Amino acid sequence: MSNIHILSKNLGYRNYFQRIPGVAMMLMVGIFFFGILSKDFLSVSNLTNIGLQSSILLLISLPMTLVIMTEGIDMSIGALLTFCGVVMAYTLSVTHSLPIAICLAMCSGLLVGLINGSIIVYWKLPPFVVTLGTLGICQSLALVVTDGQSITDVGEIVQLAYNGKVGGVAIPLIFSVIAYFITYFLLYQTRFGIYVCAIGGNRESLNLAGVSTNFYHLAVYAFSGLMAGVASILLTARMSAGHPTAAIGMEFDAIAAVVVGGTSFEKGNGWLLGTLLGVLTVGVLRNGLNLLGVPSSVQVASIGLLVLVALLIDSMKMKS
Amino acid sequence: MKFKSTRIVLLMMGLTLGIPGKVIAADEKIAVFTKNQTNPFFQAFRLGADSAAKQMGASTTHYIPTKPDSIPEQLSSIDDVVVKKPNGIVLIPVDYKAISPGVKKINEANITVVNATDRSEGGNFANFVGAHDYNTAFAAGTALVKALNGKGNVIIVEGVRGVLGNTDRVRGFKNAIEKSPDIKLLASQPANYQRLQALQVMENLMQTYPKIDGVLAANDAMATGIAEALEGANRKALIVGINGSKEAVEAIRAGKMLASGDAAPFLQGCFATMSVIRAVRKMPVPKEIIFPAIVVEKATLANYDLPPEKQSCPTWESIVR
Amino acid sequence: MPIFPNLKNSDELSALFYRLFVVIFICIGLSFLSEAFLTVNNLLNVLRQASLLFLMASGLTLVILTAGIDLSVGANVGMSACLAGTVLLATGSTTLGFLTGICCGALIGLANGLLVTLLRLPSFIATYGMLWILHGITYYFMAGATINGFSKSFRMIGSGYWFGIPVPIYMMLFFLISGSIFLRYTIFGQQIYALGANPVTARLSGVPVTRRLLLVYILSGITAGLASLVFLARLNSAEGDIGEALTLPAIAAVLIGGTSLFGGVGTMLGTLIGALILTLVLNGMNILSIDGNLQALVTGVIIIVSVLLDLILRRKSVV
Repeated sequence: MSNIHILSKNLGYRNYFQRIPGVAMMLMVGIFFFGILSKDFLSVSNLTNIGLQSSILLLISLPMTLVIMTEGIDMSIGALLTFCGVVMAYTLSVTHSLPIAICLAMCSGLLVGLINGSIIVYWKLPPFVVTLGTLGICQSLALVVTDGQSITDVGEIVQLAYNGKVGGVAIPLIFSVIAYFITYFLLYQTRFGIYVCAIGGNRESLNLAGVSTNFYHLAVYAFSGLMAGVASILLTARMSAGHPTAAIGMEFDAIAAVVVGGTSFEKGNGWLLGTLLGVLTVGVLRNGLNLLGVPSSVQVASIGLLVLVALLIDSMKMKS
Repeated sequence: MKFKSTRIVLLMMGLTLGIPGKVIAADEKIAVFTKNQTNPFFQAFRLGADSAAKQMGASTTHYIPTKPDSIPEQLSSIDDVVVKKPNGIVLIPVDYKAISPGVKKINEANITVVNATDRSEGGNFANFVGAHDYNTAFAAGTALVKALNGKGNVIIVEGVRGVLGNTDRVRGFKNAIEKSPDIKLLASQPANYQRLQALQVMENLMQTYPKIDGVLAANDAMATGIAEALEGANRKALIVGINGSKEAVEAIRAGKMLASGDAAPFLQGCFATMSVIRAVRKMPVPKEIIFPAIVVEKATLANYDLPPEKQSCPTWESIVR
Repeated sequence: MPIFPNLKNSDELSALFYRLFVVIFICIGLSFLSEAFLTVNNLLNVLRQASLLFLMASGLTLVILTAGIDLSVGANVGMSACLAGTVLLATGSTTLGFLTGICCGALIGLANGLLVTLLRLPSFIATYGMLWILHGITYYFMAGATINGFSKSFRMIGSGYWFGIPVPIYMMLFFLISGSIFLRYTIFGQQIYALGANPVTARLSGVPVTRRLLLVYILSGITAGLASLVFLARLNSAEGDIGEALTLPAIAAVLIGGTSLFGGVGTMLGTLIGALILTLVLNGMNILSIDGNLQALVTGVIIIVSVLLDLILRRKSVV
């Protein structure tokens, strides 16, 4: 037990020194530049907007960090998020009960996550391919339930999940904070987290130590699915509707945020705070470019540049 | 004092003379929201918006989702734009239902907004400018039925499932052919508005159905892909598309396509922008401006000689009574 | 110590055989379900559609063999097609158009390679960033317009026939054969496998890692450039978003074909089989008029089942 503690402590310190530049630098540069170039950027309402806009992405990027640390990937999370949103909207339109809708949405997410995990862990198929398959399945399910249209009969209460405040703090921010701390706790304070690191870096030794890696590996994907269900609450609240193509493609944003934040595909290194910074950096960039009225084609290219520059900084830091 | 009165005199001169198209430039900032970067419909719309703004002395900024047809991105852009407080907004919602929270935000910020192309389900707008996808498709479908003399085998090639415009277009097509009992709908398959996919889908469908007389394509890009597929297989069919794009016009001229449904995107852009600028300037604006569905075919080709880049907006008075 | 321990010929052959079995199984199923399937015309169509996909996926196979990935292939095809199309129309010269397409593809491949080797960025993210940059540039220059109207001689490579067989199929065979020979019988190929299987060992054994990786990304870019020319010829037009929908199917084709994302395992023929499976599924769905809402589901299930079947059969053969 003590050995494992020392191991995780070492990983932690090394991570911090190596990762703090990179994405944090980009975030600070972004805030600095946009703050100067646009008079509206640093206003309270705008900064709150960035926080709100990033909340959904953060909720799915947190579990994606764990998945990538296990040398896996979850390509289906965007489609799953969309599907859970559709389930939630449909349930609301039929039962008008928020608790049931939330429950069903989260259960759908959990179920698909378990399916992903089972196929990957027990049938030993490559995660990229499996989740690519479930992407298609979720996409189709969403289309079938909605028959290609939005479901908008969701009632007034659900919108509060996005627009409401508790104690003066916007609810999506509360969601984000809670989700962050739960994931933080899971990753850095529990055995589960240590195993997650190890599954990515050194699975054999875990097996030799008698740990049932399969269970924890499966749990990572289940967690991912569950969080997609939670995020769908915010998504449905935000659009006041369920739509079959709402979050398609978001998995790439999540993966980019995670990797830009310092988690790497091999070796099982991971930095949760980096993911948070990555999500915020993307949010700042998009918001700032919108405020400056930059043409969409240039925005598209800038996002690519951001990703590359952030990684470049990291890679140069590692060299020195 | 003298300075101030000169200004008032000039202002009154401007108002009374009311020269159409030439108003004192007040440089209003108009934010224009469209659905994606690649559909030529929205490209023409944006050109119309720019032309109208230029004529009226205002300026436009375009907000297009980086992920095509992304609802959350459009909602985010609305959040960002509301912070900037432009003078007016022209809004083509990605989804007419899911956009409601966004419109609510715009209304709460008291920014004048005009709804274009897809009628939003909720919210207050200065007016609505558009033509309906359903009407355009219905008109195009009717043209095909007429050309087939009410008899024949027809297939529909759809766009992207889950996108509202596509649902309406397919519905328009289906209703147009339902009226004729001798027209048989063989299949309705999606090709995601992509040229290559439509070509391959058509190739596949041609294997199953040896006799196809007409094809209804949900957009022009797909229609031209389908024309390629037919040509490659040495088969003939009458093809109808939607958008009235430059390519389609040339194809119709060359006889490769029969017709294309035109929802007048350039004009929509013109008049939506003119409406919002007028509304900002407290000038009267009708509740809605609906362009009738036009079908571009051999007979009406003459109207389409100028591509949108070279066109300029007609005057307000010429269309609005 | 054996330098290239991963090429076990009999294992690879049997794996291929089992994968081919999946293709045959699908074909038999489809011919039962629809009489339109087993016609010469349809089969030629399927082969032609598969060759377009395979052209892109062939270079991608090399990249994935080195445990990398190239997410920018679709954007590469899009940009190369638009550039080549512009040059073709401006100069009227087929040769110049060809050169433009291939060079553009190669340069993008080189850029990707440099990001991965010199700057040591993980290939997933490096090519992902490149994808966005390429799209942005392409959209900016195309501004929503379409280029079209190319000469008949140019269009031969996409829509033409030689002795009754579509031209792209010949190209597919050429790339299949040359790609397989390259991988299996040249030192370059062996080194690529070694790089993917164990980069550390490969470097210690004298494989010039940087040069090989650069080569692999440039080749991937060149095949994308070539594919863009074929698309251009087939569609007789180019627009900004041509490549968007092509990347994931190309990757799926390579992975279904048995190439591992961790590198070191895979074949050109496997990729071709993967491309065939995907194309057959689409062909089947169109022929059987499967509802548009369900098509993504069918594709997703087939992807999982193919890989699963392949794995099961392969395990059986090892035991």
